[in-house]
Amino acid sequence: MAAAGLGPARLFLGRRRGAMRALLGLARGLASGPQTHFGFQNVSEEERREKIYQVFENVAEKYDVMNDSMTLGIHRVWKDILVHKMNPSPGTLLVDVAGGTGDIAFRFINYVHSIRERQLQQKLKRHQNLSWQEISKSYEEEKVKPLGDSQVVVCDINKEMLKVGKQRAQHLGYSEGLSWVLGNAEELPFDDDKFDVYTIAFGIRNVTRIDLALQEAYRVLKPGGRFLCLEFSHVSNPLLSRLYDLYSFQVIPVLGEIIAGDWKSYQYLVESIRRFPPQADGRT
Amino acid sequence: MLRGGRGAVAALRRAAGSRGAGGQGRGQALEPSLLRFLVCPLSKRPLRYDESTNELINEELGIAYPVIDGIPNMIPEAARTTRKKPPADEQQFTLTGCYS
Repeated sequence: MAAAGLGPARLFLGRRRGAMRALLGLARGLASGPQTHFGFQNVSEEERREKIYQVFENVAEKYDVMNDSMTLGIHRVWKDILVHKMNPSPGTLLVDVAGGTGDIAFRFINYVHSIRERQLQQKLKRHQNLSWQEISKSYEEEKVKPLGDSQVVVCDINKEMLKVGKQRAQHLGYSEGLSWVLGNAEELPFDDDKFDVYTIAFGIRNVTRIDLALQEAYRVLKPGGRFLCLEFSHVSNPLLSRLYDLYSFQVIPVLGEIIAGDWKSYQYLVESIRRFPPQADGRT
Repeated sequence: MLRGGRGAVAALRRAAGSRGAGGQGRGQALEPSLLRFLVCPLSKRPLRYDESTNELINEELGIAYPVIDGIPNMIPEAARTTRKKPPADEQQFTLTGCYS
């Protein structure tokens, strides 16, 4: 998500059972009746969904450019850390929710691919007296299954974001083990107990009914599966906090207007970060 | 959500008219590996993939989800009904099934 160059991001890793219960308790408190928030405005749930859809429809084309200029490229580091924490092994099934433009999905594929390559190299090193046929057979197998049965499904509610993601994938040469689904995080079109890992990077604060999204995450994850949430958090240091406020509200919407011709969308993105509860609440 | 329905219909028309890289029927076909994961978002029941119309069909509820540019649109508002007039009790199911 665009915004907050100076703000920290928090990584929430939860094992399926206890952590989910804690989050659900928090989320139910947030889902207070039909009135909800859109940035700093108060709107109905339906209006919120529509407005958020429009925000991402508007920013989709420029989304990656905006992320880079607003966070000075730091969002890439956070996403790299997420995938490293995930440490997926070949054969892992990942569902990346609200992952429209594919940032997490591509990193996942790169990571698994490099693990596979290293495994192959180690295998060949150990068996020094392999025949030429056996060696080339190993390389052939690697070519056919570069990801070793790993798969990532990118699920997003916004058509434009998925379109951009798919184009990026084609452009960068990602095809194997990657698929795209238009779906709602609150109502996932996936069967129970299917995925090893569920990620939602800078997406959960844009979900209107977070409690439903968490229930769905719990449902589609296998027992023992992991839930990884990457989201902006609050700045505790007071001086840093003032600089961050200045940057968020004075610089970012202006950048939004100059680069994307869209002040309001970036105003929403900045406000939504402020409305999202701080990280301590997630633990209670 | 009306926009979803209109958008899906418009997208279907575009897909039908487009060159559609290597797909049958309307535009690009569904990625086969997805079939092991996909279910109806409303009932969470299995779907049948119809290659000729490029749709994922829930026979029980009588609805079909379109596949546009190879991406299945699994938003309930975008689905079309496969029957002329869905029975009254099925409509009730879709209403209560969404928000509990």
